[in-house]
Amino acid sequence: MKLPKRLLIGLSIPLLVGCSKTDYTELYQEIKSVDKMVFATMAISKTAKKDRSGWYGKRIAVYSYDSYMRAYIDLSALQMDDLVFDEKNKTVKVTLPPVITEITGRDMEMHKVYENIGMLRQDLDSKERAEIKEQANKSFKEEIEENPMFKEQLTEAAKRKARKYFEAIFETNGYTPSIDFKS
Amino acid sequence: MTKNIKNLIILAAILVGAIVLFFWLGAPKKSIEIGKGQISDITTMAQLCTVDLYNEVPVLDTINDKVLFAVQKQRGSVSFDIENMQVNADGDTVKIVLSPEIVEINEATEDNSWQVIDSKSLSLNGYNPLASDRLTDEEENQLKAKIKANSKKILYHNGTIERARAEGVKNLQTLMTKVYRKPVVVTDPTPKGAHYDEY
Repeated sequence: MKLPKRLLIGLSIPLLVGCSKTDYTELYQEIKSVDKMVFATMAISKTAKKDRSGWYGKRIAVYSYDSYMRAYIDLSALQMDDLVFDEKNKTVKVTLPPVITEITGRDMEMHKVYENIGMLRQDLDSKERAEIKEQANKSFKEEIEENPMFKEQLTEAAKRKARKYFEAIFETNGYTPSIDFKS
Repeated sequence: MTKNIKNLIILAAILVGAIVLFFWLGAPKKSIEIGKGQISDITTMAQLCTVDLYNEVPVLDTINDKVLFAVQKQRGSVSFDIENMQVNADGDTVKIVLSPEIVEINEATEDNSWQVIDSKSLSLNGYNPLASDRLTDEEENQLKAKIKANSKKILYHNGTIERARAEGVKNLQTLMTKVYRKPVVVTDPTPKGAHYDEY
């Protein structure tokens, strides 16, 4: 509910001060302390085509960009009794918090893959490119929700890496670890 | 005379009708096709993330005599590579040196994360009818690179990086105390940020 007010203030800035300067003052900023151990990231490419060809000329443009996901464990959920040491046998049983996946954003830039603009047609403008990206983004989010393959692959990669990382630490300390994850 | 005016009106009406029909029939259907998402990369690492951030930034900038005004939503994080950091566990105390921060800023994926409000040409104060007010994709990408650099700069100067590094020291100490089961001292050689001077 706060956004429209802030947006209005933001919109009024260029009208008041003219349009030949650079201004990136934040409308809103949220900084959150976290304790995440990230073990894998995934880049997912989306390609979008806009075709508004008519009998008086072609107007085709194809763009692509990457969106990103990451897999992490929440270290604040790791308790002392999640690490059970056996001094006699020099082993340690580690039960790590579950691997969580999340979307971390997308490329700011879009790459032009192909373009065919007829002589009588105008180039695409920024609003049209923003619209293309908006639709591609909606499709990306739907795909992530509907197709579990993305999260599964990322989670598996993160689990493999987490095992490797903690195994290396404990082996250096002279322990044989067995690493598992909470579900 | 009256007949001539009448004919002229009929002719004008036919002409207007023809023009309307011409554009109405000729107007192309709006069409955007989206391809399926393809995994282009999976990278594994061991990074400690201590700060997640979300920004909403108004963008007002000029490039090649064209002005763009937009609002961008950003997501970012500050992390530390804990796989390649300096660790000395030989003595009674484990000594660790906090690695340089990894600052990432992306465009968010919330709805309307890149909202273009307007663009205009500055050529002849905006009165040059031949000048295009359309930014090319290269110009837009250059502008977005500036936005990213500026957002990072803000993080260094508003204390976010300093805070992230302080959290990094604390969180790393907690984790490594559990792992090594002996006192852990984490030192930070650059509390304001390893890349502070670059910004």
